[in-house]
This record gives sequence, structure tokens and C-alpha cells, in this order.
Amino acid sequence: MMRPGKCRTRRWSWIGALIAMVLVAEAWAPAISAAQTAQPIRIGLGMALTGGLAANGKPALMSMQIWAEDVNKKGGLLGRKVELVYYDDQTKPATVPGIYTKLLDVDKVDFVVSGYGTNLIAPAMPIVMERGLVFMGLFGLANNEKFKYHGYFQIMPAGPNPAVDWSQGFFEIAAKQTPKPTTVALVGADAEYPHNALAGAREQVKRFGLKIVYDSTYPPATVDYTPIARAIKATNPDIVFVASYPPDSVGMVLAAHEVGLTPKLFGGGMVGLQFAAFMTKLGPKLNGLVNYDFWVPEPTLKFPGIEEFLRKYQAKAKEAGVDPLGHYLPPWAYAYVQVLGQAIEATKSLDQKKVMEHIRTNTFDTIVGKVQFGPNGEWATSRVLQIQFQNVTGTDIEQFMKPGKRVVLYPAQWKSGALIYPYAKAKP
Amino acid sequence: MQRRVFLASMLAVVVLGALVTRVIQNQYYYFAAYVILQYVVLATAWNILGGYTGYVNFGSAAFFALGAYTSVVLIKAAAAPLVVLVVAGGLVSGLLGLGIGYLTLRLRGVFFAIATLALAVVLQTMFINWEYVGGARGIYIIRPKTVPFFTSYVEFLFAVMVVLAVVAVTVAWWIENSRVGRGLAAIRDNEEAAECMGVPTLKLKLVATTVSGVLMGVAGAPFPYYVTYVEPSSAFNLDYAVNSLAMPMIGGTTTWAGPVLGAVLLGTAQQVATVTISSALNLLIVGIILVAFVILAPEGIIGLVRRVTKGKRG
Repeated sequence: MMRPGKCRTRRWSWIGALIAMVLVAEAWAPAISAAQTAQPIRIGLGMALTGGLAANGKPALMSMQIWAEDVNKKGGLLGRKVELVYYDDQTKPATVPGIYTKLLDVDKVDFVVSGYGTNLIAPAMPIVMERGLVFMGLFGLANNEKFKYHGYFQIMPAGPNPAVDWSQGFFEIAAKQTPKPTTVALVGADAEYPHNALAGAREQVKRFGLKIVYDSTYPPATVDYTPIARAIKATNPDIVFVASYPPDSVGMVLAAHEVGLTPKLFGGGMVGLQFAAFMTKLGPKLNGLVNYDFWVPEPTLKFPGIEEFLRKYQAKAKEAGVDPLGHYLPPWAYAYVQVLGQAIEATKSLDQKKVMEHIRTNTFDTIVGKVQFGPNGEWATSRVLQIQFQNVTGTDIEQFMKPGKRVVLYPAQWKSGALIYPYAKAKP
Repeated sequence: MQRRVFLASMLAVVVLGALVTRVIQNQYYYFAAYVILQYVVLATAWNILGGYTGYVNFGSAAFFALGAYTSVVLIKAAAAPLVVLVVAGGLVSGLLGLGIGYLTLRLRGVFFAIATLALAVVLQTMFINWEYVGGARGIYIIRPKTVPFFTSYVEFLFAVMVVLAVVAVTVAWWIENSRVGRGLAAIRDNEEAAECMGVPTLKLKLVATTVSGVLMGVAGAPFPYYVTYVEPSSAFNLDYAVNSLAMPMIGGTTTWAGPVLGAVLLGTAQQVATVTISSALNLLIVGIILVAFVILAPEGIIGLVRRVTKGKRG
């Protein structure tokens, strides 16, 4: 039988050991916490690195990596390095829910930002909404229209009413010409973006009192565009508004030249004419086209940091074999993480609500200019440019790096030149 | 006895699925498991026509998308619950299967395969131009915020897919072990001979196309709630057609276990590849494995195992 005194001694020794452990843990706590703060701030995303949108997804990721390098060189955010955690969404919306839950639940990233494009932003929305996270969007068209999520901020400057604001400038320019054009042909692919852009264009047509003489779509896999160009020519429109993806943009321009389609104003919503590969393919055939853009190397759009970014981007692009100009998506891919970074620095916090509130109520100086978001997370005011290709000679890429080839016509604040009108006058 | 064991194990899978939702909180695993289970249903459905009957269907994506778009219509028109969506998706895709069966079963071999491929193109074009379901622009589907008995809707989707996978496998197992299955096998081996022996070939082929269509439709019905944005190019994605064919080929086309094995192995490999090595390799993985199996083990894993065990016994 154990003596009571011995038992008490043993109990005290247990208590003593426990207290010692607690003290040791307390002593270690600051060290552990310091080690934790030294962990990088992790930003997760899915990006189209393969599949249909990879040609844009790869340069976008590269731009974000340049941002991370720039930030880390300056000491990171809140004294912590920034790390990007990314997976390839293969341009397939069905992969997106898995990728974002992996980022949040397994990789435990601090923030998530979107991949590129409307279709790949949408499937991530319910996941970020359920968790109340800040969600920066990269080139989604009206993604928040149904969700009305207050933590979503989209960097493409399409404005508060993206589909309608998209073609506002194109039709405003048309309305200012004398004699005023009266008839319009609307044409586009059977796909997500063209349908949205055409719906907006129809509203603009109504607003400016124009008459639609041709309104039709074509299958995305169309190869020969000459029958379409001929059908449009037969209606003899003053304006031809085209909403197309890169392959059909090239097809439409070539077909218009082949059949001699010469309306007074031609272009509007053609995706692809902003990329080096297509600009150098079409060369002088671009002259006279009026088309949307977001940034061009015109003197009116020289925002602080943009040239330095493009220098870094263009040096890397050669090695990576991606768009060598980087004027279309890359500055915006840099800017949307730049906004997030600035908000984290300003709030000195990784708290989603604080960062969200800061982004919602402040203006940000980025390499694409001042950015301010409206209540639906889109730009508070549209900055979709309408540019005209002028004096394009030959197919060398160098000319597109300089001003004067893509002259900004709209909005007036950023205007860098005058419209050559009608279209035929600027044609080669 | 064997029947009891099979049904008990299927019941066990359902119970296990329900238990998992009580234990695991990490949503990633539910999303990943949902995709794998969805392929179990699709591969099993494909195998009923392709494996048991020998009619290769390249249009799986059409049946899957029809199930998904039936759900879109019902959600938009009546905010119908998921159970209704699954039943309706199955019915509509089953009807399409029956109709296609009538129209195309005079075609055999490569001609039948081409007809099913054409079906997918026709249906996709139809949905691109149907504005009510979003047309080419696509449509947003907002998931219900809560669902009884589950902490999140994703857990519920996973549980539903477990049940659908078990139902699909049970149906395949029943067909395989019934007169219907033996009739289908006779058609696969020699259709003329089967007809001469009194096998009602047309009737059986219609059963196969309908059941296969129903199961593909039910696999597609929860898709709008999974992805929350439905547009034709993702609903009719080539992946569904390629995977639902490749998975049974890899697992083995002659038994119900083949597609399940193929879907679990290939589906898991794809899920892992997406978040580890470059997912550019995803379809390449499927392609290489498929070519390897077609050359080295044309009867799939199940056939390979049988051959090895027979060899050992012999």
C-alpha cells in the first residue's frame, strides 16, 4: 500500500511539470508567432494555361508574377513576401470549383483572385460568396449581375453597365459625323461575349435612332466569312458593328477586303485585333478600322509604372513565347493584384471584410490609371477606348509599340487624334 | 446469395457516403469526389450501350448536357428541387435515347458512332440559339444557401451523386445478370445470329439506348448547381464524351465493375493531375493510357486480371 505522503509528492510533481510546460509554451509563443508572420502572404488563383484561353492566360499569369517580384523586391506586403499559388483551369469551367476549394481548404491561401474570362470567373463566385471573401475579377463581363456580391471587384474598365457601355463610344463617334450615318449592320459569333456585346449594341442603335438593316450571328466554327461579308454588303449599311473572337475577327477583316465591303464606320467589338499576332498578320488591312481597346501606347495614356512594366513583360515574353506586345490583358492582370496589394497595405490587415471595404470605398493608382469601383464591383465609370488604326505600314511589330498607329478617339479625356472618316479614306 | 452481397455492398456505399459528410469538412474533397462519381455514372451508362451491346456512342456529352439543360429550364421556370431535376433530366435524356434508338439503330459500327457525334453537334447548336436557357451567353444558376441535414450544398450534391452512382451501378449489374444482358451480349457478338435465334434485337437495343440515356441525363441534372454557370461549350465539353468512353475501355467493358474501376482510377488521376503536375497533361494521360490498354489489354483491367488468374490456375 502506498503512503499518503508519497502520493501527494507525486501529484505535486505532475502539477509542477504541467506548470513548467505551460511556461515553456508561453516562452515559445512569441517565437512561433514571429515565425508565422514571416510566412508569405499567399494569393491563390486558377488560370487558363491550356485550352482555348491559354494564349491570354499565360501572359496574365506572367504579369501577376512580375507584380509579385516587384512587391517582394520592395519588402513584400506588411513585411511578408507575396507568393502566388496557381493551378491550370484548362479553360474548363467544371474544373474551377475544385481548384478554388483546394486553394482555400487545402492550400489555405490568404486571398483568392479570379482566372481570366467570364466563364471561368462564374463557377468560383458561389465559393467566395459563401465564405465572404474579397474576389478580384479579371475580364469578366457582367459576372456580378445576378450574384450582386459586394466583395467582387472587376478590373476590366467596361463600366457599371458592361454590355451597353461597351459600344457606347463606337456609336457616339458615328453620331458625330456629318452626314450622320443612318443604317447599321450588326454581326457576331454565337458565343458568350459576342451575344452580350450585340445586345448592348442594339440598345445603342435605339438610343441614337439608327436603323438596323442586318442583324445576324454565325457559328463560332465558321471558316469562310466571305458569304457573311457579301450578305452585309448587299444591305449597304453605313455602319458595320462586329462582335467577334480572334479567329473570326481576322476572318471578317479579310473577307471585307475581299468582297469590297466599305461602310463609313467598321469595327466596334472585335477581340483579337489588340494582339501582336493578329496585328502583324493583318498589317495595313487594319487601317481605318475603329475598334475597342483598353490601353494603347498613346501619349494620353502614359500612366506611372506602365512603361517599366511593359519593359519587364516584353523581355520575358520573348522567352515564354507569349504575346510580345502585352498591351491588352497583361497591364490589367498586373493592376488587379496591384489593387489588392494596395488595399492590404492600406488596411494593414489580411481581414477580408476590412480589405473589401477599403477597395469599395477608395480610388487606386495603378499602372492602368486611377481605378475606382462602383456598387456592382465594375468600374464606376466606363473607360472602354475606341481607337482607329491609322498609317499601319507593313507587318513589322515594332510600329505597334509606338504611338500613332492606334489613335484614341474616345473617351474625350484620353483622345489622342482625329477620326479618318469615312472608313474607305483610311484604307490602303 | 451473390445478389444479397451485391445489394448489401451498394447499401454500404450509400451509408458510407452519408457518414463521410458527417466527418469531413473540407469542401475540396466533395468537389473532387463529385466529379469522380459523376464519371462513374457516365461510364456505367455508356457501357450499357457500348460495352454490353457493342454500339459505340460518341454523343455522351449530348445526353449529359440535355440532363443539365432540363434542370436549367425547371430551375428557371419553377425553381424545382434537385430530386425533381434528376428525375426530369433522366426522363428527357431517356426519351432522346429512345428516339435516337429508333432513328439510328439500323446503323452499325462506325456509322452509328458518327450519328451520335452528329447528335451532339445538333443539340449544341439548338441550345446556342435558345435564349430562354441563356443561349450562347450562358446562364447563371444560384445554389440554394442551405439544405436540410447538410452543412453545405456541396455536401448535398456529393451525397446525391453517391446515390446516383449506386443506382447506375445496380442497374448495370441487374442488366448484366438478367435475360436482357444475355440478349445484349448476343447482339454484341453476332446480331444476325441473335435475331435468327429469336432474340428481340430491336427491342433490346431500344432498352439499352433508353437506359443509357436516362443514366447520362441523371448525371447531368445536378451539373447546373455544381458549376453555377451553364453555357453550351462547357455542358457539351468533349471531355464527357472522351472520358465516358475511355473509362470503361480501361476498366473493362464486359462487367459492371469495369466502368466503375476505370472511372475511379482515371477520374482520380485527372483530379490529382489538375492540382499537381500541369493539367495540360490531363487529356494526354487519358490518351496514352487508352492506347496502352487497347494494345496491351483490350479487355481492360478486369480482363487483364482474369487472364492473369486463369494463367496461374492453368
